[in-house]
Amino acid sequence: MKRDSWQRSAITSSSVGFYLGASLIALCTLTPIILIAFAALTSRAELYTWPRSIIPTKFSLDNLKYFINAYGVLKSTFNSILVAMVTILLSLLIGAPAGYALSRFRFRGKEAFKLGILITRMFPTSLLAIPLAVMFLRWRIYDTILGVSLMHTSLSLPFTVLITASLFLKVPYELEEAALTLGCNRITAFIHVSLPLILPGLAAAGIFTFVTSWNEVFAASILTVQNRTLPAHIMATLEASPLNFKFAGGFFMIIPAIVFIFIIRKYLLSMWGISVNK
Amino acid sequence: MDCRRTALPYFLLAPTLIFLLFFFVVPLFQVIGLAFSSEHSIFTLRHFNRMFGDIYYQDAVINTLKMAVIIIPIQLVVAFLSALIINKRFKGSTLFLYIYAIPLGISELGAGLIWLSIFTEKGYLNSILYQLGILKEAVIYLSYQSPQWIMTAIVITEVWRATPLVMIILLSGLQMIAKDYLEAADIFGANWWQKVWLIILPLLKPSIQSALIIRTLLAFQVFGPIIVLAGRLFPVMASESFFWYTLIRNEHVAATYALLLMVISMIITWSYLVFLKTKDEQVGVL
Amino acid sequence: MKQRRILILMITAAVATVALLVLPVVAKTQVFFASTQFRPIEEQQFIRDEILHPFTEKTAIKVTMLNEDYGPFIDRLLAEAKAKKSNTDVFGTLHGDFPDLLANGIPQDLKNLPALPGRTFIPELVKLGQMNGQQVYIPWTQATYLMVANKKALAYLPTGVELNALTYEQLLQWAKNMHEQTGGPKFGFPGGPKGLFGRMLHGYLYPSYTGHQVQKFNSPEGIELWKYLKELFKYSHPSSVIYESMSDPLLLEEVWVVWDHTARSSPALREKPDQFVAFPSPAGPKGRAFISVIAGLGIPRGAKNLEESWKLIDLFTQPETQVKILKGTGFFPTTYEAINYVPEGALKILAEAVTKQAGATDGIVTLLPVGLGNRSGEFVPIYTDTFQAIVVQGRPIETTLKRQEAILQKLFAETGAPYPQP
Repeated sequence: MKRDSWQRSAITSSSVGFYLGASLIALCTLTPIILIAFAALTSRAELYTWPRSIIPTKFSLDNLKYFINAYGVLKSTFNSILVAMVTILLSLLIGAPAGYALSRFRFRGKEAFKLGILITRMFPTSLLAIPLAVMFLRWRIYDTILGVSLMHTSLSLPFTVLITASLFLKVPYELEEAALTLGCNRITAFIHVSLPLILPGLAAAGIFTFVTSWNEVFAASILTVQNRTLPAHIMATLEASPLNFKFAGGFFMIIPAIVFIFIIRKYLLSMWGISVNK
Repeated sequence: MDCRRTALPYFLLAPTLIFLLFFFVVPLFQVIGLAFSSEHSIFTLRHFNRMFGDIYYQDAVINTLKMAVIIIPIQLVVAFLSALIINKRFKGSTLFLYIYAIPLGISELGAGLIWLSIFTEKGYLNSILYQLGILKEAVIYLSYQSPQWIMTAIVITEVWRATPLVMIILLSGLQMIAKDYLEAADIFGANWWQKVWLIILPLLKPSIQSALIIRTLLAFQVFGPIIVLAGRLFPVMASESFFWYTLIRNEHVAATYALLLMVISMIITWSYLVFLKTKDEQVGVL
Repeated sequence: MKQRRILILMITAAVATVALLVLPVVAKTQVFFASTQFRPIEEQQFIRDEILHPFTEKTAIKVTMLNEDYGPFIDRLLAEAKAKKSNTDVFGTLHGDFPDLLANGIPQDLKNLPALPGRTFIPELVKLGQMNGQQVYIPWTQATYLMVANKKALAYLPTGVELNALTYEQLLQWAKNMHEQTGGPKFGFPGGPKGLFGRMLHGYLYPSYTGHQVQKFNSPEGIELWKYLKELFKYSHPSSVIYESMSDPLLLEEVWVVWDHTARSSPALREKPDQFVAFPSPAGPKGRAFISVIAGLGIPRGAKNLEESWKLIDLFTQPETQVKILKGTGFFPTTYEAINYVPEGALKILAEAVTKQAGATDGIVTLLPVGLGNRSGEFVPIYTDTFQAIVVQGRPIETTLKRQEAILQKLFAETGAPYPQP
């Protein structure tokens, strides 16, 4: 990578300070994650001692085992994964065509549509979840995977539309046009030309949707009783859970974040409109 | 670009529009219905009166605004510095980007539990300070007697959890800034501060606007870390809505809180758009 | 090709998702048991592993237990009754929920079901389960709220104070001693949003100070009570307004003396039985008020698996099971055979305190309010809000009490519910 002059000069003039600053922020970000990992791996008895040892004297998987074996955890984890998958599927199926339309066509009402998408961002989750609970009861999808997925889709759909739009924008339309002249129709042109090019970005957007759904707790708590997602389950049992359950649960919930953000780290910026790998 | 008049884009938009109709417009009207009606009457203000008269109401509104006002500037500064660092593209900058971005994937509840392990009386913070000899005995941070500590704990948790999003938006903006401007500034002998103040920040205005809007909207909705760390000692509108629904089981008052939150969100977004006017289409990235 | 791999992966994931969604529900003969009790993780675990699992092994009846909060629990039973399709076979909840359930025609009369041999129910409890001439529930468990103290705290007990005859004034002196002599507050209570401190206010303090839960909410005695609470709170752990269960703060030694539900303080006693003592709740000017929490088991009308359901109720009320539940969770039995069992260790500490509380000469038994219907969730918050306003926010006592009393009266007037005893 070729460094530009302004960047080079800044680095050489204060490179020690620069790396110190960069590392300081990294340290602040990582310390709490390391602490919760240690907390999850500290034996129950040691958690209750004062002062609590930072690095456990003996690493133990007992808390995590206890958490995973606790009733409802595996089931709600499974529910969470299922909800997230359905959410990804629904938001891509519904949102990607709209994103494609936004990127490829100029049409009356386009600005109004974009404004509408912006307005959806102002809806607090509570505003959606409370009436949806009433509606879902009537539609008989209250307390189901589908119900929570629909709710999560409504949270992630605006995001999906805009992401897919920005992904398609980066695929030159000329490529599709060339395919059209070579005997493809619009659909086959899309499948053969555009889709492969945007797949990695689409996968990254999907993973981000997964994380969003995996993390959502307000709506999931309100829309489920028996078929809780993991955060809703932890939330519902929080008041009477011992420390080791809380800490193991906290650690367990952030593992997907650590893994998935790593997988999509290169696409994080492109998801917000601009590519990092220029 | 295809300029022909065609129905195709409308077909492509239709699923999204129908979905938005069912899951945004219908719920909006239902919330209005819940907020303004009761079992006995079609139109009533009793739920609003109940909310206004509730002992948590004033604090909830004030805290909601206070949180946004305190957290967002801190986030902007930290995120801007982080983004400048990553944008240098030094060796290992991708690794740093990854580390900075991890909290992006951590839930409100997860973040709350993480910082709970740190801030409780016999938690990690006190343990560390005690073992270092800085504290003689544990300090009680999460206490009604020290609202400033509770507030600090919540601010730290939220800054830690939600700054990466701002950083990503600003970083995207930074990368759009053409190198020519900065090279020109170098030629004129501008120092680092001048470059930041006179070139980078003005050019970054659209991204800053996006980040401000999205962070403010999200900050108004935060309730996980607040419930975990402070229970009802630091009421905000989102948590009150949650408690009225799950604890007191009165969906009408819960709906009035949600509605009020929405109105405040709209006013703030509108004022950002008006006062930070930009010509750019960046807003669409929201 | 990388892209193709991703595409294949995504399609596989999509297909798998759809397959999982439409997966046929396998029909099994099982008993569906809904309970508002045993919600804490460790209690659920215990009931499943130690009580229900052996039952299934022995009888081949699979029991699905769902532990849920009171609101959703009642909503679901109501919805099932409306749909005339009962998925729930057995339900277990507090005595106070039954009048509402009965008003909606949910529980069936259990009088004519086969006798349950080998046990003698406490007759008062059986009588409580009779409403409108029907036996709507079989007494299941009893519980109450107690004080628990770390033995370290006993050194600071004011001289001449008998733990089992503690008064609220003495508790204040004790809390003050500990605060002043150890340098930090050592008394705590579960005042968080889901904590049970509200029960202490309406079921313990109010009757102990005014003789009533509701009637004398705003009265000279009531004002005395709030003055006392303001004073006590000065020497209470300031996280008490966040705590939801006192077992962890006890084990962490953030606090030494607590008040909580037996089931929520007992994990600490089970963990370190030698370090803690339990004793009755304190007494006020009008006596030693305490809540007796009674839970019953019922069967909804139209439940399908009547025979299996009855077997489950049989299981839960066998003295051996009740002793096991007492040991495992701290919930007390409803049959004489089980009560006469003498426990050891942590349970012995609790059981003795419960007996002493129940047998106190100045005792006042408090019952939870019934008949508030779908507004029962509003009762306790009136008391906790008052606490928040007067003690935490420091608002004036008189005006706050006047305001909150109006809300309280309105709740009872609008629902037509009778005032709870006393």
